[in-house]
Amino acid sequence: MIEMLNVSKSYTLRGGRQQILNGATIKLPWQNVGVLGRNGAGKSTILRLLAGIEEPDGGIIRRHKTLSWPLGFRGSFHRELSGMENVRFVARIYGQNTEEMVQKVQDFAELGKFFYEPFRTYSSGMGARLAFGVSMAVDFEVYLIDEIMAVGDARFRAKSKQAFHDRLPHSRLVMVSHSMSNLREYCQTGLVVHNGIMTYYEDLEEAIDRYNKLNE
Amino acid sequence: MKALRTHIRVILALVLREARVRHGRSKAGYTWAIVEPVLQVTILTMLFREFRAGDGTTDFALFFATGVLSFNAFRNSAAYIMHSFEANRPLFNYPMVKPLDAVLGRLVLDTMTNLVVMLLVLSFQVIVMDAEPPKNLPLAALPILLMFLMANGAGLSLAVIKRFLPSVQNLYHIIMGPAFFVSCVFFSLSSIPTQYRDILWWNPLVHGVEGFRIGYFAEYAAPDVSLFYLFTWVVVLNCFGFVGEWLTRFKAI
Repeated sequence: MIEMLNVSKSYTLRGGRQQILNGATIKLPWQNVGVLGRNGAGKSTILRLLAGIEEPDGGIIRRHKTLSWPLGFRGSFHRELSGMENVRFVARIYGQNTEEMVQKVQDFAELGKFFYEPFRTYSSGMGARLAFGVSMAVDFEVYLIDEIMAVGDARFRAKSKQAFHDRLPHSRLVMVSHSMSNLREYCQTGLVVHNGIMTYYEDLEEAIDRYNKLNE
Repeated sequence: MKALRTHIRVILALVLREARVRHGRSKAGYTWAIVEPVLQVTILTMLFREFRAGDGTTDFALFFATGVLSFNAFRNSAAYIMHSFEANRPLFNYPMVKPLDAVLGRLVLDTMTNLVVMLLVLSFQVIVMDAEPPKNLPLAALPILLMFLMANGAGLSLAVIKRFLPSVQNLYHIIMGPAFFVSCVFFSLSSIPTQYRDILWWNPLVHGVEGFRIGYFAEYAAPDVSLFYLFTWVVVLNCFGFVGEWLTRFKAI
């Protein structure tokens, strides 16, 4: 569903250069992929590269499917706008019917009166429900998920799992998480990022083994 | 073609969003964006009229209003555009929302806001204060257009520099404070001694402000005003801003 050809990405920090990817070539098949790596390995940056928010320094990324923005609880929402106004903004930029989408998200996110309050008043769980609801209201083929499942309560988790399950015939996900149980719940394959190199594993368990070794 | 449509859609969504949060938590919201400058300019106009009664032949209130309106078209818009990036940072998480869209969204919104403010202030002067209406509208509109475009170039350039040097915004405010006194807002270029006039001439804002008056007033003597000089600033600042944005796009974290 996504191909990366010789992709490089680095940042210049005060202390020197931070290489995130060093000529990575990888072909992600039509599977649910869990992305693993230690803190600062560049998992979030990889999601941003896949989404097209950032351009690689070199190399090509080919996307054969429609991809969501990276869904994280840290947010793509404006603090001063209400949940509803934030939904309207997303509906507009994705060319969706505004009122239809507001209705869908309202039903899914179950924010009650908070739907009309500024986003800054939301708890992280509420933010995650809104983000998840908004992305579910737009039909993407690949959902990019950054740790968002970790913040919801049991009810929200059950609901989002059901929502994904319903979409499985035509959607897949690429998911960053530090929770192995979370990854096992959703993903079958794994991608480990370490020292600028990505390794794809057809079996998630192999990827988890490798990840555990990195942490030793 | 599809890319262009997406850009337009994103810019429109940003304009609506910006209008909504322009005045933060205020319930009146966007109305304040109009009311505030209208009151501000009107009060300043009244104050300055007391200080200087004019030379008797010109209507000083109107003279001052034309000056402060065209000056503000640059100053406020440039400052507003300068903050485009950090004010919209969360929205760049959507792949199709690019930093330049945020800049253009703010330019569109602030241009419209300023035009409405100008219309209200000048209508008040003409209808209530019995001032003269504009003589040559297209000729008055051109310098204002150039001021908006220069505000875009300056705002974008500052936003780009601010990626690496956040304190540049203080520098802008330090420069723009005194600029009010040397941009012909409350005096004309022809009214000052020649030796100072030659120095002031290099200030591009002078040409926008005086250029607007040439179009507005029937007989307004400002022989040294050069819209071409103003246009040069527009081109240089916009080139610096757009090229700079392109070069530094993925460099800052």
